Amino acid sequence: MKTADFPLPDTEWEGTCGFWEAAAREQLAIPRCAACRRFQWYPRERCLACGGGELPWTAVSGRGTLFSWAVVRRALVPAFAEKVPFVTGLVALAEDPAVRVVTNLVDCEFEELRAELPVRVVFRPLVFPNQERRVIAPMFTPLG
Amino acid sequence: MTASARDWGSASEIPELAGAVAIAGVGEADHSQASGRSEREISAQAVERALADAGLAPKDVDGILYSAGFGDAFDAKAFHAHFGTHHEIWESPRGGATVWAATAPATAAEVLHSGKARHVLNVFSVSWATQRPQMLGGPGQFHAEERYKASLEVPFGWFPQPVYFATIARRHMIEFGTRPEQLGAIAVSARRHANLHPGAVMREKQLSLADYLARPMLVDPLRVEDCCLISDGGGAYLMSTPERARDLRRPPVLVAGVGEGRSATGLYWSQQPAFTSTPQVFSAPAAFAMAGIGPRDVDVLALYDPFTIVALMQIEDMGFCGKGEGGAFVEGDALDFDGGGLPLNTHGGLLSHAYVLGISHVIELVRQLRGEAAAQVPGAEIGVYGGYTGHMASTLVLRRA
Repeated sequence: MKTADFPLPDTEWEGTCGFWEAAAREQLAIPRCAACRRFQWYPRERCLACGGGELPWTAVSGRGTLFSWAVVRRALVPAFAEKVPFVTGLVALAEDPAVRVVTNLVDCEFEELRAELPVRVVFRPLVFPNQERRVIAPMFTPLG
Repeated sequence: MTASARDWGSASEIPELAGAVAIAGVGEADHSQASGRSEREISAQAVERALADAGLAPKDVDGILYSAGFGDAFDAKAFHAHFGTHHEIWESPRGGATVWAATAPATAAEVLHSGKARHVLNVFSVSWATQRPQMLGGPGQFHAEERYKASLEVPFGWFPQPVYFATIARRHMIEFGTRPEQLGAIAVSARRHANLHPGAVMREKQLSLADYLARPMLVDPLRVEDCCLISDGGGAYLMSTPERARDLRRPPVLVAGVGEGRSATGLYWSQQPAFTSTPQVFSAPAAFAMAGIGPRDVDVLALYDPFTIVALMQIEDMGFCGKGEGGAFVEGDALDFDGGGLPLNTHGGLLSHAYVLGISHVIELVRQLRGEAAAQVPGAEIGVYGGYTGHMASTLVLRRA
């Protein structure tokens, strides 16, 4: 149970450190099975498709489509009070649409969002009141 | 991305139990907003009322099912401490509310059948309204503490539950053309039922469809009215064999079928291939088969409804209409107890009765099948509860004796 940094991620935790280390280099990375080449998302110790145990974090293009989203109009926890309204949702990756990355949609009007909208990754800092730590995160914006 | 293949989850093995278990008594605690009461106080009140309903004394109870992980459970030790009893009580933490409100009878069946226990309580309470200020995201705290979610979802504000279900509702709208007034029909019907129910938290507050549509978005496309209450409250039901139950005070209600389904993606709902479905796809057919019924035989339905969209998806997934047809199915007064359609959550549900996580859903069905509900469905003979926790769903088929 580690919620002291809420809502910032623990970027050093072995389960997801590859995601956050890649983001710091402005790359989007997803574990990919060395044996069957399938992406495994969320990360697991073994590939759910073939059981392979070697799943290196692999850079992807950062292109995808908007699968679904929500516009948070009223903050449900105080940490997000300064962000509302904001868009959070799921992007299906171009390399494998079954991989859906939870993210924020940025630099866009809410009205232009639609299903299967082509999007591309951009990297932005996560900023929260009372949290000085700076974490770069993959977010998405319309491709056009 | 909708998975048409049924490979995203599975049905659990449930032992055959038809005819082995009856519900012989029900009791609800007072449901409220923050009350300052502990879980154990609330449970004790519900248990006292269930025993009074069945006409039993505390010494007659020799089995207890409760939920672990929801604060101070009313287990055998707590039961003895409250009632001053000392006898042997069989107990299991695989009871309580949510999915277990449906599967507790299957868990109790073996001990009732073998005679190891004669009268088994299933009890649940929650005091989240009182505890909310100390919780992180209220009932979302569990999710904030799960490490993958904490790292890959929470930082983006995909937290807590209203955000998940707004995202699911949006996708349902995208795939099937579901409209806000259709989600609203579920909220309005639940409120009308709560207005008729003496124990409902929202008894005095009216809600029309026009009111609903005029309300602001909380997490677009969901309004506050699409979301469950946060409550203090609880309930208990007492099980016995049908033979013993017939000798008790109230008409018994028979447990005819139980099912349980699971999603292979577990807690990570963002990755569920069938994003707009629930594991009722796996659970309901198993329970209906055990009971020897089909969806058309159901007179009154009670669905775990933390959000309107969850009730809508379960209606589809249990086969009351086709996938994607739920919006049209629930329109107007189709869900009202007197609407001529399929009466749903005739006590008001989690949306308007109380957020006691489904235990009151089962109690309401028992009252319907006894013919003593506030919003009584005339001649109701078969009632079905659909439980849900996201990665699991369960189904309980009850039949008038």
